Amino acid sequence: MVNERLTSAHPTHSRLARKFADLVSRWAFMVPAAVLLLAVLAYPIFYTIEISFSRFDLATFSAVEWVGWENYAHVLDDYRFWESMKVTVVYLVFALPLQIVLGFGIAFLINAEWRGRNIVRALFIIPMVVAPVVAGGLWRMILDPLWGIVNYVLGLVGLGPLDWFGDPTLAMAALIIIDTWRWTPFVILTATAALLALPRDVFEAAEIDGANWWAKLWSITLPLLVPIIAATFVVRWLGAVKMFDIALAATYGGPGGATNVINLFIYEEAFRSLRFAESAAMAVIILVVTMVLTAIFLRGSRLLEERY
Amino acid sequence: MSAIAQNVTRRRKSRLGARLRISAGVIACFLFLFPLLWMVLTSFKEQRDIFTMPPTLFFTPTLESYVTYLQRPDIWRRLVNTVIVAVGSGVLSIVAGAMAGYALARIRLRGAGTIGLLIVLSRGVPPIALAVPMFLVARKLGLTDKHITLILAYCTFLIPYVMWLMRGFFLSLPKELEESAMIDGCSRFGAFFKIIVPISLPGLLSTMIFSMILAWEELLFALVLTNRNASTIPVAIQGIAGDTINGANWAALTAVGTITVLPVIVFAMLVQKWLVQGLADGATKG
Repeated sequence: MVNERLTSAHPTHSRLARKFADLVSRWAFMVPAAVLLLAVLAYPIFYTIEISFSRFDLATFSAVEWVGWENYAHVLDDYRFWESMKVTVVYLVFALPLQIVLGFGIAFLINAEWRGRNIVRALFIIPMVVAPVVAGGLWRMILDPLWGIVNYVLGLVGLGPLDWFGDPTLAMAALIIIDTWRWTPFVILTATAALLALPRDVFEAAEIDGANWWAKLWSITLPLLVPIIAATFVVRWLGAVKMFDIALAATYGGPGGATNVINLFIYEEAFRSLRFAESAAMAVIILVVTMVLTAIFLRGSRLLEERY
Repeated sequence: MSAIAQNVTRRRKSRLGARLRISAGVIACFLFLFPLLWMVLTSFKEQRDIFTMPPTLFFTPTLESYVTYLQRPDIWRRLVNTVIVAVGSGVLSIVAGAMAGYALARIRLRGAGTIGLLIVLSRGVPPIALAVPMFLVARKLGLTDKHITLILAYCTFLIPYVMWLMRGFFLSLPKELEESAMIDGCSRFGAFFKIIVPISLPGLLSTMIFSMILAWEELLFALVLTNRNASTIPVAIQGIAGDTINGANWAALTAVGTITVLPVIVFAMLVQKWLVQGLADGATKG
């Protein structure tokens, strides 16, 4: 009888064990990444939130006392924070559309069927993999008011000399140019892939109906590309809100804060002025704003994808 | 007959149009490459050839800048550090990220949708929001200026990136592969490592190389978390470019810049086909 009970108990036990083993083996694939991301991504975010609500003691280098929204009030009262936000918005509003238009435009140009297409496409990868800090440094040289080659060329056609890094507007233009130089190739590559994937028969049908290239571009290519344009915009947005290296290397936020994008401002406040609590509060504000906008953009791009 | 003639002129016109388009594209490509060419060119110039007006294209090339700056011990140490950190974070993120990407693509997990959403959102987290607490924690734990700290910090953006890319890759593989293996008595792990990994090797390697490139170029965490022993090459370039007291040293900037960029370009060219594909997938499926 004992034996019988054992044998009857055994199946359920082993089924449970197997189920458990199965569960373990399922989650085992997720565990390394999950543990790492919890430790280095989730935990720091929560720590930033904690610091942002605390008084930060520089003697012990830790958050000591809960102060509620005080740090946030300070930050929102700080005109430099708003200046920096304005600079960031100006950069984003000019750089992103410029890169998208330029990228899809050039992709359209090089996408004609010819032998060198693949080579040109491969060459466009190169600016994309240049370290942003190198990009900033090298453009600083190229745009140098005295010895730079850009001013020399502009001089040949009777323009300038332009003081790229001394004039606030020109410094912002320089920042946008550098960023556009590094990132347009990304848009070009995405766009060429998208253009290649367009259905051919639609174009052939339109051609038979006598559509000229403008009609084809405007009423076939563009509508078909809308979802890709939206998706590319989201990816570019995610990169652009992190703008830091190029500004640091090329303009150092100057002149007089004209290119002091928010990430650079927070960096300076935290690691030069050692105002960790306020920096944390700013970081949280930026985090929330970015998340909300990212969610909106993702939603928008999904909607566009469904509509077209 | 007139219809044929019309057709012929039209085709000729469109051929001319295509030629114009192509030349415009090639010119654009050259314009995009020019700044880089100029940097490489400048790195072979002597000081007096760098500072001339008009800028000179013809000069006696010299390795002076390279000899001078590669003799500085800190540049060597930084190069070694950058290699260690790039390889370390590349390997760690490909192992963790590919496994997690596989789990998201193939294993039905409760909450996989939420995890996917979190990964996408995590790409929006500004690194500065992580740099402040990381610096404080690293300081407290005595982990500043160590390679491992930087490697772990780079995982914050590399693992989500690899997860997402590899998820798409695994989704495109036929399901029967591991199903038949598991019927044959392979465990889930066995199926993954013996069947899936070998056939995904090109994708895995390319993703790893691209992760390494991202780590190689990273500046913010390197600035914040290291100061002497584990500092990387982008920090040196930032130091040279941002030297407002002596003015930027262009010989140093171009020589060190070229050394930084050249290996990356070689690797990028090796994986370019996959890179373009990955970009397209990342944009359309991400």
